[in-house]
Amino acid sequence: MMSSTLPLSRRLRRAALVALLLGLWAPGKILWEQKIAHEQDFLRYHGVTMSRELRDQLGQGLTIGVLSGMRSVVADFIWAVNVTLAWEDEQWFRMSGLINLCTTLQPRAATFWDIGGWQLSWNASVAAAEDLKQPNALRRLRASRFWIEKGLEIYKRGIENNPQSWTLWAHTGLLYQQRLKDYRNAAYYYQKTSELPGAPVFYERFPALMYGLAGDDQAAYAAWKSLWERLTPEQREEKEHWKEKVESNIHRLEQKLSVPTEKRIFPK
Amino acid sequence: MIPSFFRILVIGRNTLVEAVRQKVLSVLLIFGLVLVGSSVYVSTIATPGLDAAGLFDEQIKFVKDFGCGAIGLFGFAIALLSTAQLIPQELQSRTVYTILAKPVRRAEFLLGKFLGVVLLLALAVTLMSLAFAASLYWQETVGLKYAQDVYDQHMPNWQNSPQLVSQYNHDIQDIVSKVQDPQLVEAILLLFAKLVMTAGIALLISTFATSSIFTIITTFMVYLIGHLEGVARDVWLARGAETSLWQSGLAGLISLLVPDLNSFTIVDEILAGNHVPWVHTLNLLGYAEVYLVVLLAVSIIIFDFREI
Repeated sequence: MMSSTLPLSRRLRRAALVALLLGLWAPGKILWEQKIAHEQDFLRYHGVTMSRELRDQLGQGLTIGVLSGMRSVVADFIWAVNVTLAWEDEQWFRMSGLINLCTTLQPRAATFWDIGGWQLSWNASVAAAEDLKQPNALRRLRASRFWIEKGLEIYKRGIENNPQSWTLWAHTGLLYQQRLKDYRNAAYYYQKTSELPGAPVFYERFPALMYGLAGDDQAAYAAWKSLWERLTPEQREEKEHWKEKVESNIHRLEQKLSVPTEKRIFPK
Repeated sequence: MIPSFFRILVIGRNTLVEAVRQKVLSVLLIFGLVLVGSSVYVSTIATPGLDAAGLFDEQIKFVKDFGCGAIGLFGFAIALLSTAQLIPQELQSRTVYTILAKPVRRAEFLLGKFLGVVLLLALAVTLMSLAFAASLYWQETVGLKYAQDVYDQHMPNWQNSPQLVSQYNHDIQDIVSKVQDPQLVEAILLLFAKLVMTAGIALLISTFATSSIFTIITTFMVYLIGHLEGVARDVWLARGAETSLWQSGLAGLISLLVPDLNSFTIVDEILAGNHVPWVHTLNLLGYAEVYLVVLLAVSIIIFDFREI
């Protein structure tokens, strides 16, 4: 005999009890969930909201995967299979779209932004520059530049989503330095890198080196001087790591810029 | 109170023993263990020939994602299948009559059954977590060996340069910190909480369902909807002009009844190497616990009134 045969009064009593319990819990549930959502927004864990566009890109199977809470596995799957295949086949536009898809699914996974940016600004741009199917050198150069800009865009969006990732700041600096020869911007990104926890110590020297490459001796001197002032007495004595590199550069620039003796760090 | 607790414990222990004897659940667990263990291999397929130090991040991410993904997936299957057949199986084999004929209250019976499932899930998650830890240890060994080889091959006498030694130590520290991430404990706890919640939903549905299939399908639907509950809540609370009355009503019903399972995808952030404070994790665990208490209370009310 199943529940449908229960007398009406018992069924009503049961329904009333369940409704009472849920009625008591529901407002608290909503408030609690809102609090958790706000905390996650504050922590920058926006995750992903399923849109029609995203569903079309993912397809039915992967959409169910995302909806089942397997967002990271789906992103990894797309990255491991589709991005790798697009790279091997040199389908750069397809790869660019897939990188965007993976970063949309996991905006806080710095590695997708990092390797995605590298794929476009190095691999895609070099392939475009060496594309022999395009006889016009100017067009090859323009295509190469297009992919560098795409890679830069990926890095910058990555930094917006992961401002504490020193690798993204450092590799954006590297892109400016090596691909765009824009040493001032490279100095800015290296400076930011050196300020973040976990970044290797040598990045502290990079801004000054970049200003030097940009031909701005005044800025380079200011950067070396500022670095020297930040060093502890022990660091100043570390020969190979700091002393030779920082001291020699300051000494060289003080002479080159004819800094008055009383303002020099190394008067001799 | 104490005798009641012991009765629940006895039913729970028997449920666990019965579940462990079931071949389907054992096979699922074995598949889970194999998948977690093979995550290292999957990571090398994912980045063929790209085992340079810079790409270690990508490989470790795959190991973590596939490891925790497998725990989540197979844990979900175990939670769903084991809970869905708890009550129908007892009714079908008529053992429920023998149990309830003894001084065992229905609530005790139900809680005991659920305890058995929770113990089963704890066992499965522990075993899969151990396999996950072994995979991570293996990945760490590979990473450390690779870092050593790179320095030895490309930078002869690097041990004599303080700068290179400092860089080497930094690289090693980087690898170790990514693998031995204490936050993974938070991730496993959150995964477990989500699985227990799923089992709770399945238990509630099975108290009024007439077949296991119905329970499995309905729970799966609720599980999917649970990942969209946040969207429904936003629609309901915003109540924009473009939202019709029935849309708003449906969104409200979902928001009030279905748990917000998407909040638990914060596990992805932990796996991506982002910091999630313990306070937030405890908040989520507390939410899961309270929700579970409500689920069990409703299940007990429904089961108490059910004619068997």
